[in-house]
Amino acid sequence: MSKLTKTVVVGGGIAGWLTAGCLAAKHHSHKAHGLKVVLIESANIPSVGVGEGTWPTMRNTLKALGISETDFIKECDASFKQGAKFAKWCTGKEDDFYYHPLVLPQGFGKTDLAAHWLAKQGQVSSFSNEVCYQEAICEQGLAPKTIRTPEFSDVANYAYHLDSAKFAIFLQKHCQEKLGITHIIDDVVAINSVDTEHDSDKGDISSVTTQNHGDISGELFVDCTGFSSLLLGKHFGIPFKSCSDTLFIDTALALQVPYDSDDSAIASHTISTGQEAGWIWDIGLQHRRGVGYVYSSQHSTEEEAKAVLADYVGDKFSSLAVRKIPIVSGHREKLWHKNCVAIGLSAGFLEPLEASALVMVELAAQMVSEQLPQSREVMDVVAKRFNETALYRWQKIIDFLKLHYILSERTEPFWADNRDAETIPQSLKELMKLWQYRAPADHDFTSNNEVFPAASYQYILYGMGFKSDYCHTPYIFDDKEFAESQFVQNKKLIDKAFSTLPTNRELLNKIKEFGFSRI
Amino acid sequence: MTQLVVIDNKNHLKLKIDSNKAEQHGANLHLIPAVMSEFINIAVQYPLVITKNADTGQFVIAAMLGFEAGENLFWREEQWQGLYLPLQIRRQPFFVSNTDKNSDKGDYVICFDSNSPTISHDDGQGLFDDNGEESEYFQQAKSCLAQLLRGEVDNKRLLTHLEEMDLLQVMKMEITFANQQTTKLNGLYTIDQDKLANLSADRIANLHSEGLLQAIYTLITSLGQMHHLIDLKNKKCDC
Repeated sequence: MSKLTKTVVVGGGIAGWLTAGCLAAKHHSHKAHGLKVVLIESANIPSVGVGEGTWPTMRNTLKALGISETDFIKECDASFKQGAKFAKWCTGKEDDFYYHPLVLPQGFGKTDLAAHWLAKQGQVSSFSNEVCYQEAICEQGLAPKTIRTPEFSDVANYAYHLDSAKFAIFLQKHCQEKLGITHIIDDVVAINSVDTEHDSDKGDISSVTTQNHGDISGELFVDCTGFSSLLLGKHFGIPFKSCSDTLFIDTALALQVPYDSDDSAIASHTISTGQEAGWIWDIGLQHRRGVGYVYSSQHSTEEEAKAVLADYVGDKFSSLAVRKIPIVSGHREKLWHKNCVAIGLSAGFLEPLEASALVMVELAAQMVSEQLPQSREVMDVVAKRFNETALYRWQKIIDFLKLHYILSERTEPFWADNRDAETIPQSLKELMKLWQYRAPADHDFTSNNEVFPAASYQYILYGMGFKSDYCHTPYIFDDKEFAESQFVQNKKLIDKAFSTLPTNRELLNKIKEFGFSRI
Repeated sequence: MTQLVVIDNKNHLKLKIDSNKAEQHGANLHLIPAVMSEFINIAVQYPLVITKNADTGQFVIAAMLGFEAGENLFWREEQWQGLYLPLQIRRQPFFVSNTDKNSDKGDYVICFDSNSPTISHDDGQGLFDDNGEESEYFQQAKSCLAQLLRGEVDNKRLLTHLEEMDLLQVMKMEITFANQQTTKLNGLYTIDQDKLANLSADRIANLHSEGLLQAIYTLITSLGQMHHLIDLKNKKCDC
């Protein structure tokens, strides 16, 4: 059985370059005895540019690729993201909002602060504000660190907002110059199968035929061809599993909104505002905001949606170009088939709530490079494990996204339909049953491949007004003194943050001028 | 607050500076920036540490005089008790400023801090003689400023090399004083001696020819003065 020496990545968007970069960095592609990584990119197919929001995982991903955070921030128009603010999701009123911050609740794992907060509800501020100092940081427009903090380190946990078109170019440049990836610009015109008597690799892809560079062969093919899913979907015919019966959003109207002036504040969190048939994202980059309305076309016409978006954006709207993007929520039934694995949009896509697109690329790229089969003989085992993990993750994300909708008190048909029990996955229903009497805990999420931690579920549940009833377990409140000390500690951390952190805009300006040091 | 005034021989013909009072500027400083040309003088008594400028995050080399903001253990009985007074203090009350505030494209001018305790009209040394010619004292003061300006360039070169060669490391130190009080030193950096020891002969030779090798070893050696500083702190707590 042949050993694996060459991987071919088809497609050159963010998914393609991130995957190629992870593989090349991990398997020493810049050296003669390292893994050969070839990336084939069409000059004619524009990349879709999913998601301008990342997860904190992106910090480690960039670090693993040997990228400087200063370069990344300068060249990708990037800014800091410290979680999401959900406005008008619960009641739809003007003062209705809560946060899903990236910092865990104070004393998480040592006490059930949710229980103690619920007992005081009405006398104190929101869950996210009482248990976590990050909401206050975001409300003040402060950055998650100072210019003295080393690159990729933080004072408060953070992710990024970025310009995805610039990020793709930045990744390409870095991967080519530093990581030893062979870049071929050409169109794939045919996919060729292995001609063999063996059962094991029968039907494998042996090579792809390009327009001008002939056949490009390899032992593993990564399908990063976006929605067209050229290899896994078209060639192998792996079916697409829709989840539109659970997540209704199927259309996005996106636009780029300039700032009023060069010193306008840059929000250090994603702002997600509930609307009559969906929600509007608002992401602050250095030079512009990315804004868009994602909605269900079953519940709103395009005209109505445009009116909602115009109302949100204000006077500038009439002069800005609106791009319409269809969203087909779901994923392939299998992500790794024979010697082909799909990563990125070719694998699946969900609505942009909670910015799951890029993190799924990172997780998949990391798993493929960490568990890269050494030969064809072990590939089926790796593929089986990869599929189990990936499908588990897709399901968990679908559950978590649905959770945002099912507790709303909004009355428009979109929101009412979302609460229909028929549309809620069984796995989520079971968790909701348990949480009637206690808060989400780590033991609810026992796989080591979890995407969202229990803390995230707490932020959404109690942010949306859910009440766990502790009447059967009064002893939960026995550590009241410790819990109180945690609430006090949180207030202290807020004061400390206010006295030390610069605004998001101030820090970004300083990074451009001075940069971060490595230590 | 420092209030800078550009010096000229008309308005400041009679101005007197009491240079003995310059050291008062350092009374409450626990870190004082130091330039390469004075490292050896400093290392005789004070540890040299690397820290980050709060505004820019850029590395700065400084003499360490205390363990917390506001504490100068060499300031006792209203006097500087150290043998060597760092240039950054000795230069008081003089500064170099650029006429163009937003860049360095304008002309350099010499200023003084009109709020400095050294400013006097009776005691001290004049900047000009009766004809408006610069006094010997003022010329010395100017050469002190020149040494600082050159030093900034030297330091920048040293720090750039240290960063590029990955020779800096976080300095972790937890100190328990004689009275059992403990303090953790945060935000300080120093030379990574293991990495320095493993540099190739070529790279060492390069540092030497750049005139940086001695400075690097002085930075390392000066850390021995940390014990001196702890000793001073213990004595201060005793009484």
